[in-house]
Amino acid sequence: MNENFKISPSEINNIKVLNQKDKNFRLENLKLFNQQGFPTRNHEDWKFSDINQIFSKNFKNLVSFKNKIKLKSVNFIKQFDHNHILMVNGKLENSEFKFEDKNKIKIKSYNDSNFSLNNEENSLINLNNALSNNGLFLEVADNYSFEKAIIIYNVFTDDLKDNLLNNKNKIILGKNSELHIVEYNINQSKNKFIYNTTENVILNENASLKTINLQANQNEGFFYKFSKGKMKSNSNYSSFIFSSGPKFNKIDAEFDLEGEKCDCNIKSALFINKDKHQEIKTKINHLVPNCKSYQKIKSVVDAEGKGVYQGKIYVKDIAQKTNAYQLSKALLLSENSEFNSKPELEIYADDVKCSHGSTSGSVDENSIHYLMTRGLSKKQAVQLLVNGFLNEIIGDIKSNSVRKFIENKIEVQIHGY
Amino acid sequence: MKNQNINTNQDYKYGFTTDIESIKAPKGLSEKSIKFISKMKKEPEWMLKWRLKAFERLKNLKEPDWQKPKYPKIDYQDLYYYSAPKSASEKPKSLDEVDPKLLETYKKLGIPLQEQKRLSGVAVDAVFDSVSVATTYKEELTKKGIIFCSISEAIQKHPELVKKYLGSVIPITDHYFATLNSAVFTDGSFVYIPPNVKCPMELSTYFRINASDTGQFERTLIIADKGSYVSYLEGCTAPMRDENQLHAANVELVALDDAEIKYSTVQNWYPGDKDGKGGIYNFVTKRGACRGKNSKISWTQVETGSAITWKYPSCILQGDNSVGEFYSIAITNNHQKADTGTKMIHLGKNTRSKIISKGISAGQADNTYRGLVDISRKASNSRNYTQCDSLLMGNKCGAHTVPYIKNKNFSSTVEHEATTSKINEEQLYYCNQRGLNQEEAVSLIVNGFCKEVLQQLPMEFAVEAQKLVGISLEGSVG
Repeated sequence: MNENFKISPSEINNIKVLNQKDKNFRLENLKLFNQQGFPTRNHEDWKFSDINQIFSKNFKNLVSFKNKIKLKSVNFIKQFDHNHILMVNGKLENSEFKFEDKNKIKIKSYNDSNFSLNNEENSLINLNNALSNNGLFLEVADNYSFEKAIIIYNVFTDDLKDNLLNNKNKIILGKNSELHIVEYNINQSKNKFIYNTTENVILNENASLKTINLQANQNEGFFYKFSKGKMKSNSNYSSFIFSSGPKFNKIDAEFDLEGEKCDCNIKSALFINKDKHQEIKTKINHLVPNCKSYQKIKSVVDAEGKGVYQGKIYVKDIAQKTNAYQLSKALLLSENSEFNSKPELEIYADDVKCSHGSTSGSVDENSIHYLMTRGLSKKQAVQLLVNGFLNEIIGDIKSNSVRKFIENKIEVQIHGY
Repeated sequence: MKNQNINTNQDYKYGFTTDIESIKAPKGLSEKSIKFISKMKKEPEWMLKWRLKAFERLKNLKEPDWQKPKYPKIDYQDLYYYSAPKSASEKPKSLDEVDPKLLETYKKLGIPLQEQKRLSGVAVDAVFDSVSVATTYKEELTKKGIIFCSISEAIQKHPELVKKYLGSVIPITDHYFATLNSAVFTDGSFVYIPPNVKCPMELSTYFRINASDTGQFERTLIIADKGSYVSYLEGCTAPMRDENQLHAANVELVALDDAEIKYSTVQNWYPGDKDGKGGIYNFVTKRGACRGKNSKISWTQVETGSAITWKYPSCILQGDNSVGEFYSIAITNNHQKADTGTKMIHLGKNTRSKIISKGISAGQADNTYRGLVDISRKASNSRNYTQCDSLLMGNKCGAHTVPYIKNKNFSSTVEHEATTSKINEEQLYYCNQRGLNQEEAVSLIVNGFCKEVLQQLPMEFAVEAQKLVGISLEGSVG
């Protein structure tokens, strides 16, 4: 693959399209993508992760996935009761809601019928618009609170090789409803592939959504997820990102706070090892008064790993009494690790409290020394400190069983150090 | 550019060019006008070649457009690139002809009458435009071996120094405005401090723009040799009368082993009127290289003027243990726009940098801090601390922070923090209660907000700058 990577319009013929309008929309998007190619360093949003370069280095012959899926058995989580949705290579396979009132939940394979371009600058979204043929649509009725969390098992089968997957998800929460999702990525493939997904989240009045993003294993996947959220008044969103593991992972979240008294939280604890590359990019748009947003991104970067945080808080002129906070902290453990950040504020209202902080550096020598005088080896001391550093985020998860499960996962990652 | 001064053009048409005092280069950007500038300055061949090389490169460059404040397209062919001082007949005859508002501000700043005349362009003594004012205290400086002269003089008299350092920090292959400057720069200051000399006084030159439609392209080069120290002041606190003009200066600093350069700027050019008409475009490239071990470069700026300020005084920390500092106050009112900040590029070991930026935005202004902290792989044990605070007054203005933070070295630490808020109501109330009116109270609080930066200014400057902070915000509250 080189800079002139193009996708033939004939690819679209292989996709089941809804109607002519859909087809035209796809063709138009494909044209836009072919004009631009994958984003490069010249795009402000990709300044720290030149995806074009990364892809051309890793993929010689990139093709859309057409093979038949061969699914190995999936290890479901047994530590706590939950509902589940099984997605295989981005396609909805099955779901089970044994703890819930099924009338309140609408679930189906998602086909987008909204043919409007809204993010023309990002060619990966164009690509997604052009080629996405699978996805999940989940809608929760008004006034319904889930008894148990949903775990979405995102399984990638081992017949993926140099493939490009595009998928689209949409999650809608009705008024006063409440949902807790754990997105659990299980990668059975030993090979490289690209998973490009866009997600649409709509939270109606007083709705509350909590998501946890977790990877089961180290893998060779290249993930890009664009998440667009709209929040109505009094709604509550909180997201925990623990997605360490893939070769490349960029989570790009953009949330519009459209109703008053919304609360938007994004927290992350990442352990980036080997030659992994992780980026979290956020944009929180405060469009109305009296909203709150809070972001806390903690990263530990080891070996040749690279971590990136690009966060932006936008406060519209009418959005008075906004309270927005951004914090990025990174620990660098090895001479070849790298952490870049760009915490950005764009503020047009005066009666606001907005602040951000960003730090990066090594583990405190004094603390290591202290622990070593207590008989720990240097490695143990660093592990303990790293654990404590990341645990601050994990500690914010309310459910005991879920928290314990994640603690174990992170510990495994750290002890690989 | 907009708001051309029609009178000047007419004067030109009626043959004022024959007047020895108002010689202008042919209008427009061309090889011809560059040769004209070089000829007027009696420059040696190598200098002309250097300029033409820059011009060659400029042809392939595009004007950058990523900045926050947008401006109408500049017609570079519609500017004069060289002009000697205006003839006396074009200037106000006395202070009575000067805008009373301007005089009022002078009074508030406590500027002596003679100085007022000079600043408002009254034709009394030698007021120069692109040609430097004869520099003072020359004798005392010469005794110490310090060279402080205009850059044109330096090109003639000290070509070996100019050849060695000019373009070594801002090469002719740099961005659009810097390259433009390299091609057409008219004048500026040159400072050389010999080894182990501490410059006995603060060096300063007033940067002036007085002829309408003349883009000002100043070039400043300061070299501090081993173990030396110099403090340099640029600009002045008083506002200057002017038309809408482009100002694209280049400032290069070079600090060798154990040397220290302190560069302070107070910029208060014409910001345009209340509706945002007119005002100066201040697109300046300032860069310092800490070449030697233990060297230090410190930038302090108080930016209150100009319609658009777009500059990033930077430090390249090459030498081990070198230090870079940046202290900035940027005040924007009415329709002013500022996009300013710094770049700290850590290349040497144990390098340290500190950034303190205070942005104040009122009226319909936009104030952006944009900065880069880059710690390279080899810069072990480096440290950076950044603090940028923004203050908003009113809900029609904007304050933005865009920091880029890159850390590639695990033994180095980078810290950044920023806040945005408005003036604390309780503090205002407290001041009001003690008998201060609203404006005095705001001025006091804002001065407190800026204290860390004001402290860095040389004494005489600091007093004036404090008053300036208050004046710049007049009419923004209540």
